[in-house]
Amino acid sequence: MTPPRRARRATDRTASLLRLFRLLAARVLGALFVVWAAVTAAFWAVAAVPGDPVEVMLGPLAGVSAAGKDRLRSELGLDRPLLERYGDTLASLARGDLGESYQLRQPVAEALGGAFPPTARLAVLALGIALALVLIGALLGRGRLGAGLVGTAEVLAVVLPSFWVGFLLITVFSFWLGWFPATGSRTAASQILPAVTLAIPVAGVLGQAVRAELADVAASPFALSAAARGLGPSGLLARHGLRHAAVPASTLIAYVAGGLLGGAILVETVFSRPGLGSLTLTAILNRDMPVILGLVAVSAALFALLGVLADLGVWLADPRTRRAAAPPRPQGQAETGAARA
Amino acid sequence: MAPIRPRSPLRALAAVAALGALALTAGCAAGPTRDTAAPIVWAIAGTNLESGHMDPHRSQLDSSSYVARLALDSLVFLDEDGELQPWLATDWAVEDGGTRVTFQLREDVTFHDGTPFNAEAVRANFEHITAESTESAQAVNMLGGELYLGTEVTGEFSVAVSFSQPFVPFINNASTAFLGMYSPKTLAENADRLRVGGPGVTVGSGPYVMTDLVAQGQITYERNADYAWAPGGVPLPEAPAPGLELRFVPESSVRVQAVNSGEVDLATGFDPADVAQLDPALEITAVDSPGIPYSLFANTRDGAFAEVEVRRAFREALDIDAAVQATSFGELDRAWAALSPTTPSGYDPELEGSWPQDQDAARARLDAAGWSETAPDGIRVKDGERLSLTWLSWTPGSEEQTSMAALFTESLAEVGIELTHEVVEPAVYNERYPAGDFTLTDWSFAAVDADALRAHLHSAGFQNASQVNDPELDALLERAAAVSDRTERGELYREVLRWNDEQVAIIPVSLPAMIGARSPELRGVATDVYGWPTFAGATFAPAE
Repeated sequence: MTPPRRARRATDRTASLLRLFRLLAARVLGALFVVWAAVTAAFWAVAAVPGDPVEVMLGPLAGVSAAGKDRLRSELGLDRPLLERYGDTLASLARGDLGESYQLRQPVAEALGGAFPPTARLAVLALGIALALVLIGALLGRGRLGAGLVGTAEVLAVVLPSFWVGFLLITVFSFWLGWFPATGSRTAASQILPAVTLAIPVAGVLGQAVRAELADVAASPFALSAAARGLGPSGLLARHGLRHAAVPASTLIAYVAGGLLGGAILVETVFSRPGLGSLTLTAILNRDMPVILGLVAVSAALFALLGVLADLGVWLADPRTRRAAAPPRPQGQAETGAARA
Repeated sequence: MAPIRPRSPLRALAAVAALGALALTAGCAAGPTRDTAAPIVWAIAGTNLESGHMDPHRSQLDSSSYVARLALDSLVFLDEDGELQPWLATDWAVEDGGTRVTFQLREDVTFHDGTPFNAEAVRANFEHITAESTESAQAVNMLGGELYLGTEVTGEFSVAVSFSQPFVPFINNASTAFLGMYSPKTLAENADRLRVGGPGVTVGSGPYVMTDLVAQGQITYERNADYAWAPGGVPLPEAPAPGLELRFVPESSVRVQAVNSGEVDLATGFDPADVAQLDPALEITAVDSPGIPYSLFANTRDGAFAEVEVRRAFREALDIDAAVQATSFGELDRAWAALSPTTPSGYDPELEGSWPQDQDAARARLDAAGWSETAPDGIRVKDGERLSLTWLSWTPGSEEQTSMAALFTESLAEVGIELTHEVVEPAVYNERYPAGDFTLTDWSFAAVDADALRAHLHSAGFQNASQVNDPELDALLERAAAVSDRTERGELYREVLRWNDEQVAIIPVSLPAMIGARSPELRGVATDVYGWPTFAGATFAPAE
């Protein structure tokens, strides 16, 4: 990805677009590799773990004869060699066919489609709450005392286990104060506590990145010159500080998406809510290979896409990346993000 | 460098945001008083239902059955005394020495989708249960398994069910939701969707009509306004509760708090340890389950337990009274026989108190059986082999089970037996169980007929964890399933229980109970013979 050696001013724009195109092409190829690698790793990992999907599907104390179980195995294709099943899986994925769940006997796409909206709603709400918390932290975290307190809160937010935070919130806000229901999943109010639980660790990580950038901005010469122009501290924060902080924050997007999806497994379990998180947990416990692979393929593709969008976002937001030899690599790359899923 | 200090505009914004959040939360708060026009809210653990276990024709899980009961009715009803009462059938008869059972059906019943209930509907349901594609894990055996020949429509409202050999347990089994009646229309159109369930799919003739299903979340029902066929002729309330919302809450501590705070009207599936946390103002019920008590199943085929003397010594070494008392906080009774006293026929009260703890006898027995040497850690050894047993359970275990294992381990160590309790994932359990890679395993099995003993002790039984293979016992169990006289059947099952008492294949431990708590404002919730709640007569009344 070397730029033209002597790019003239007039061709700057073309060169910049060309760089973007090359970047995107490389990213798409990378994304395909990520999806293949993730699916392959998941397939062999599930195959290596003990547990016969037919036995698990029938559950404990099932009164099904050995012949009945064999019939099920052959119906699901479980009696075929692993390598053959792996090849078939890749072939159907390439066609965009995610297959059928062992457990539910419904197309995996249908199961994922049903679980996606609740998790997406929860994640968007959590992201909004996390950004609000980051903003509040940025405002309060100035001065030595404020920075110390907010810094401690951020560390706590990252290290406290979500299931513990969830139970704490349920105890305080559902059973002491009675503000939100602890059960049920159909009302808007029932989404608040899970979203807050999910937002807390994300806010902790984002908050640290944003406040570090704000401190750099405050210490930079242009902050002094802006202050000399008569811009107050709040104006400085709003116009320059947060804008600068948006760059590291947006490159963390893969981390954030990973945190939201990974966190959803815990949060959806604690609050007994439907969604991708509880679907993932159920599929793993049930050795439901098609659902596991579908989830892995879709989330790997999603992360790769987010990585591309983050690159694009940085390219648009930061003029330096358009002129520089290569855009700075975002901190949370698509590859690591996918592995986290 | 001037430090940046917070100034008014953004600080004010933050304050507004915080206030906004508060206002939003206040707006969402639920009212403190019970709205009687709102549906009943029932919290259950509900785990597994989302994994394709919504169809009781297919699934063997208790929860599949009591959740299905809201929408599905059955041919007959077993009351709390174990007596058969009419339901969708007005009359029935066991003919030809138990190989044929005939039913006269009600003529005024319609399914939620408007399809009339008749003899064809019964046949469609029994054909669905026995179809290979249903993959039935229990209902098919309740319908006789290989003994089932078919269902004959003998008139618009009369059917005959035939068996190749007498199969008397069928009539009690017909009262369960496992043999519940779906609309034949949904069986024809949605056969492949029943295991996932949903409105328009889970369609029966029951008191509640499913209107919404959120997998892993909740199921919503509205009252079936036409419902006039409650089991046993029970009078229905004038103003039944308008609907029911079933919420899946796997954490029992959350269920406790939810029912205490009034967020849910009824919560079930508690552990005995939860009872102390429940608000005493609630109606707390603990109904003993019929069937096989919570038991340890001794693998009589492999390892040290192949010797009956070792099994006897094992049983004598345990202090079951103390263990049950301690682990259930006094909420459960200990069991003495391989059937619960509430099982409709076959219990043997004479076994009560007949095998108390006796560690001296256990030691003498082990010495006599050749397990007389001991290793330095006090564990007995015979021919270089340690007397070491593995108790295998599947996750999620319970605290009760863990503490019970600890107490047993201690008692057994006193006589020189080593016990290791392994709790493994179901997937791993299912690999080790068929291979006989365990000395003991544990469960309870709710059943409305003593024929459950056949599944557990017959050489071809599906739950024969003890690996029993005794042709005389097989014959006895087969005879008991063929006798229609209640007294005679009871006597045969008592013989089976005495066989087990001697051979120590099943070691009964405690009598499981369905523990639930409900708001006093919720009235008319009955329990069926399983001890599970039924809601045909449910209504709200103000607290007194």
